[in-house]
Amino acid sequence: MFSKEKIIIEYTVEKCKKCNLERKRKYRQGDFLFTESSKCDSCDGITMIEKIFGESIEN
Amino acid sequence: MDFTDINFDQLFGSSGDTNPIMMLIWIIPIFIFVLYGQRIQLAVTSGEIKKGIKKLEDYKTKSRTELISYIKKNMNPTEDPTKKIDRFLDYFTIMPVDMDPNGIVGKVRHIVRAREDYTREHVKSLSPQTSELELTKIQTLLEIATTLQMIHKVINHMFLTAKKQNNYPLILPLQMILPFILEEAEAMHKAIPAFKMGQPIGDGIGPMVVGKMMLESKKESVAFQTVLGETQYDQRKLLLLKAEGPGSTVGRPGDAMETILSNNKPDIIIMVDAALKMEGEDSASIAQGFGAAIGGIGTERFQIEDIATKNNIPIFAIVIKQSVKEAITLMTKDIADKADDVRSQIYEMIQDNSKPGQTILLIGVGNTMGVPQ
Repeated sequence: MFSKEKIIIEYTVEKCKKCNLERKRKYRQGDFLFTESSKCDSCDGITMIEKIFGESIEN
Repeated sequence: MDFTDINFDQLFGSSGDTNPIMMLIWIIPIFIFVLYGQRIQLAVTSGEIKKGIKKLEDYKTKSRTELISYIKKNMNPTEDPTKKIDRFLDYFTIMPVDMDPNGIVGKVRHIVRAREDYTREHVKSLSPQTSELELTKIQTLLEIATTLQMIHKVINHMFLTAKKQNNYPLILPLQMILPFILEEAEAMHKAIPAFKMGQPIGDGIGPMVVGKMMLESKKESVAFQTVLGETQYDQRKLLLLKAEGPGSTVGRPGDAMETILSNNKPDIIIMVDAALKMEGEDSASIAQGFGAAIGGIGTERFQIEDIATKNNIPIFAIVIKQSVKEAITLMTKDIADKADDVRSQIYEMIQDNSKPGQTILLIGVGNTMGVPQ
């Protein structure tokens, strides 16, 4: 009766193939695991989507 | 106020002469409960069950509405699909007679596959140019809507029968089972967004682990919606098998194993799958064991066990524990974070249980929604 409703926030984790830097961002439609995503922030490598998951927060 | 000098004997009239009014106040409810106790309990329990059935009805209606709007938006059908979808939702499956269990697995497999094939073809007929990915998503959404409709129908039938007969004992099993049914129905309802968006679900952890290992390897289709890759690890040949992603499918690992064994006999089989956790167990905990780790109605497991037994191949299993809800909704962070740990346990298992030069068949079992290879 008193339990709070949980909201799931979807995240995508990108990992640079070159420097292994991981970056967590909000999920965007069209994100698929293991696909090349964007340029790395710290080197000239390309990032690959490593994980897509949901984290719940209480409303 | 001073409450210490209350005389209870005086209040309830139980000392000295008996108070007839108090006697009636005590006795009448006893008679009422003796004569109408079950009906009162039935009324109270009915209220709770009605609330549960209302929830089930909401899930059923919402899943149907979401399915129809998803089809209209993504398939662009030439005509309104509502009538056809409503007909699909009412389909039932009659399981084969089990009085003589000999050969029943083949019969069950035949019926289930015929249903799957029929649904796939008829969903495709709504708009033939739809991609395979969209088709698998819609097929899964249709399964969810059909299951929610069936659950509501059965529970409502049991409830109305008990009410009609004024039969309290008949409503008891319903009262006991309803929280579990509601948990599963809620999980299915909450799974809809993940399937619509094409996101990986908790059950996809097995394909996710194996899919990543397959990235650099050459892949071939070995059975319907099932792919095989080959790679090397520590002087051993690794055959990697999973359902073909990123569509929503579990593939046909049993058929795939038959094809693989006609060319390559593996020395060990390792299966990675999600498993239902027990209450009190930590979510996303990893456990190792023996035997075919694969769910479903049992036909795939039977096929895999049969092949392994005939060829004397040991089967090892690694499972990632999770709840029903976690298994069919968007993968949680805890589960996703365990992928690397599972992979290292697989390599450890390979080293411990095989020798250089041997062949290992690694199967990532589960729904591969949103997980390519």
